Amino acid sequence: MKYMLIMRQTDEAVEAMKTADFESIINAMGQFNESLVKAGVLLDGDGLSDASEGFVVDFSGPTPTVTDGPYGETHELFNGFWTIQVSSKEEAAEWAKRAPLSPGQKLEVRRITDMSDFEDFADNEYLRSEDEWREMSAEHRKGEQA
Amino acid sequence: MSDTTSTTVAATPSKWMLIMREERELTPEELAGFSFDEILEQMGAYNEKLIAAGVLVTAEGLAPAAEGLVLDFAQTPPIVTDGPYGETKELFNGFWILKTASREEAVEWASQAPLGPGVKLELRRVPSIAEFDIDNEHIQRERAWRESTGQL
Repeated sequence: MKYMLIMRQTDEAVEAMKTADFESIINAMGQFNESLVKAGVLLDGDGLSDASEGFVVDFSGPTPTVTDGPYGETHELFNGFWTIQVSSKEEAAEWAKRAPLSPGQKLEVRRITDMSDFEDFADNEYLRSEDEWREMSAEHRKGEQA
Repeated sequence: MSDTTSTTVAATPSKWMLIMREERELTPEELAGFSFDEILEQMGAYNEKLIAAGVLVTAEGLAPAAEGLVLDFAQTPPIVTDGPYGETKELFNGFWILKTASREEAVEWASQAPLGPGVKLELRRVPSIAEFDIDNEHIQRERAWRESTGQL
């Protein structure tokens, strides 16, 4: 099963990060990422740029409205994630515990849904073509950088 | 055009993460009005458009937060708690990552998502590995990993 590790942090932790030694953070993160890659569990991982650079699309009206800037309170945001493939919830928790994070930071760990979550809708044509889509997206990614 | 710098930045191809946010939980009446088959149809048709346009990098849905766990790094080792992180409105249940030629294109695609009242999409740019100091050995190894998995 796949799990998503979502990095959450308080405003204080974000402030503290600004004066931290960035090189040592990169090194600690790099070592953690490498252990995930070596164990064969890492599927994906990305950091996000500052929320002030982002925008929000609200679907409450008849046509969506676009607003520049962060969504809600800054402590509701997250700035990065990993997705990993593991055999149990316990294994997901084990990997999460090893992340090089510090006070003010939390990891929210969520299982990623798979086809077994949609068994009642196994006949749906879109669900049936999902495996094919995933292969196409992967090929597209590889083709693009070649 | 007066502001050529920002135009250039906005036109740089980059990855954007579309994060589905639900501001409130739907009432039982609202839930009863939903056909899950219809949602699957609409989401499927939207995903198919993204794939046909060649912009979809990845997308996933998340299982209910009640099934998840939270690790607090306030102490070592971190404290593990079962259940959701924070308030329901702080959560999200799914995301897409798109690669588009510009910020405007990301806005265009996001606006077409089959979402309704009570739902917002938060869009965040995903910085490329090229934006980081290439002299660092871990950054170089990350670049190699991304190349080998097609996730550059």
